[in-house]
Amino acid sequence: MDNTQQHAPGLLTVSPSPHIRGRDTTASIMFEVLIALTPATVWGIYVFGTRALLTVLVCMATAILTEGLLELLLHRKVTVNDGSAAVTGLLLAMCLPVTLPLWQAALGAMFAIAVVKQLFGGIGKNFMNPALAGRAFLMLAFTANMTHFTAAYDRVWLSAADCVASATPLAPLKQGLLPEATLTDLFLGKTGGCIGEVSAALLLAGGIYLLLRRVITWHIPVAYLATVTLLSLIFPRIAGAPLQSVAAELCTGGLMLGAFFMATDYVTSPVTRGGKLVFGIGCGALTVFIRYFGGYPEGVSFAILIMNSLVWYLDRAFRPRVYGKGKQGGASRG
Amino acid sequence: MALKYTFRGGSHVREYKNTSACPITHMHAPAVVSIPLSQHIGAPARPTVAVGDRVLVGQVIGEIAQGLGCPVHASVSGKVVAIESRNNSFGIPVQRIRIENDGLDEIHPEVRPFGKPLSETSPQEIVEIIRTAGISGMGGATFPTHAKLSGAIGKVDTVIINCAECEPFITANHRLMLEHPEDILGGIDALLHALGLHDVTLAVEDNKMDAVEALRRAIAARTPAAQAVRATVAVMKTKYPQGDERQIVYALTGKEIPAGKLPADVGCIIFNAETCAAVNRAFYEGMPLRRRIVTVDGDCIAHPGNVLAPIGTSYADLAAFCGGWIKTPAKIVNGGPMMGAAQWDVNDVVTKGTSAVLYLSEEFIRPTISDGEAAACIHCGRCAQHCPMHLMPLELAKYGREHALDDALRYDVMSCVECGTCTYNCPAGVEIVQYIRAAKGLLRARAAAEKAKAAQKASNGEGSHHG
Repeated sequence: MDNTQQHAPGLLTVSPSPHIRGRDTTASIMFEVLIALTPATVWGIYVFGTRALLTVLVCMATAILTEGLLELLLHRKVTVNDGSAAVTGLLLAMCLPVTLPLWQAALGAMFAIAVVKQLFGGIGKNFMNPALAGRAFLMLAFTANMTHFTAAYDRVWLSAADCVASATPLAPLKQGLLPEATLTDLFLGKTGGCIGEVSAALLLAGGIYLLLRRVITWHIPVAYLATVTLLSLIFPRIAGAPLQSVAAELCTGGLMLGAFFMATDYVTSPVTRGGKLVFGIGCGALTVFIRYFGGYPEGVSFAILIMNSLVWYLDRAFRPRVYGKGKQGGASRG
Repeated sequence: MALKYTFRGGSHVREYKNTSACPITHMHAPAVVSIPLSQHIGAPARPTVAVGDRVLVGQVIGEIAQGLGCPVHASVSGKVVAIESRNNSFGIPVQRIRIENDGLDEIHPEVRPFGKPLSETSPQEIVEIIRTAGISGMGGATFPTHAKLSGAIGKVDTVIINCAECEPFITANHRLMLEHPEDILGGIDALLHALGLHDVTLAVEDNKMDAVEALRRAIAARTPAAQAVRATVAVMKTKYPQGDERQIVYALTGKEIPAGKLPADVGCIIFNAETCAAVNRAFYEGMPLRRRIVTVDGDCIAHPGNVLAPIGTSYADLAAFCGGWIKTPAKIVNGGPMMGAAQWDVNDVVTKGTSAVLYLSEEFIRPTISDGEAAACIHCGRCAQHCPMHLMPLELAKYGREHALDDALRYDVMSCVECGTCTYNCPAGVEIVQYIRAAKGLLRARAAAEKAKAAQKASNGEGSHHG
């Protein structure tokens, strides 16, 4: 039964090895991140109302459109299918208050994609986390709007006109007081704050999902959270209640969102194990420093942005020892 | 769970071991074989027959005049119809001897057992038996075995038999261990005798536990006389590239081979399982290396399997023996999918180093088609996380792409073993290992040019001296 003639090959493909590839692609990884962020986002929409959904949609749509249009204008390959712009849009929306005017949210998404990402060369080339840089931009440009929060279950339908202002749990911490909400409520997310940052539990679940799917490694989040834990245990802000202080610091202010989803952004974090650990420790220390001494109650985003700028050095400082070189190998550099 | 030997880095690549239950089948020799006179590292052989000559199975048809290399033998009996030059898969012209098979399978009279028992054979005699049998490493790197052996006598204390078979698809060694473990052990006896050693470790990955059992049974069943050899089977964690000699040495001994050195420099020598079986055949039957086990697989093949194929069998004949193609092959790979070479000619042939031939369809290879320069690294670090040499492939690839050769050299680009784990794991589809190969090639060329320049300078200086 020789059908070699029937299926005789024409020109054969000659390309370098390897001839097979692993399953993961940039798009599949971004999709995993979107899945991991979904529970916390849905919770945010549940406690803050449909306006939160609107904010999410506006940010994602603006990010995707900005990316596509700019790439067309810059004659680059249009990469909106890789899902990274969608992730940036969603992450930005998750760290915005629900009452922020939608045009300002859109402006933030545009800034994140156009200035932080595309102007530096597109995916893989930016040195700052686009979503966090977008948030920082909004924070500086529209400080009042960015620090105006509503209480949980004080749902906003569409217009944010007549909302009652409410502080995030970080504000009382700044004065050394326990937040009004119980620690359980803080953990579950029954508190005021940004759309996607309130439920530490669901963010933790999403983070564990990313760990199990091997999208991220444990080094950065563990180093980050451990540093915050340790520092707030030694220097508790609530006098005489170190454990409650630790719990409050961990569950508030987007720390979980930052540790699992922002600080682990591939492009803007180190690749080496040692680099990742130091990066996480640095993020943790700076977060605590800004929270304790800074002008803003919240330190996660600026802490990560500062550490982003050190990635290049961290990767070089913690370069692994090459097999057969150095101590054990004993061979000198050729 | 027992502790398994392993190394740092690497990754579990998809196995595709579809043919592990396919027994080795003897292929009736095709009507025509075309035997390349250069099949591996070393000098090409020079033809010792002429067009029109009748040749017999096992007869020398190409011999090495001097230098490193192996003689080449006829794999069938029949008439030499052409001695021609054709490019191999790397575009290098290679002389080939084409033999029309007469179907008689008549064996050359010089093919006979060595005669003396092993205990009365000298190490030099064993080296010579291996050389005249034309045996070169059958795991893929195809270094002439006699040269490896003679260089190691008195120098090494650790003998490792590489049965890892970490490349996806390939099951040739696996079937050999299941079906003929005594052939492997017989070859080991001869090799150890030449080396004056008594201990040997057979390294098998844990995805072949039936082979581990088969080897252990065969070792236990040996006659007391053969038990001068103490053979142990080491179970290795299934992880690519476990079969790379640097990784196998580290996994078993904890030693690293220094950059640019060989296993012998840390007292180790490694032989492939099928190489041992070939040594066994050469010693006890006198039969040179004239055929080998080839895993024939890929989504285009009707009946994938393990075929004992004569050296010189074309890819087309091999496929025909396995029921032909059910889809049109878009790519033919000689070797495994991680390090094997894509072929451009369906009439090119099985050589001593061909452990597998894969026939892959358009559809199968689609995910490997890259965006080329447009593929954007997302800095995920998987290449660095999985690199068995602990390099930073993402950076080396960047240097290769930008021809930043000094940077590449400074960060140890020459240590790359080109296993392809980085490219396999790259979600962005960057051809990482290819950029690295390019950098290595340019560096080698630069070093050669510098050396030539220095030599010219030296000879000029000499000339002026005498003038």
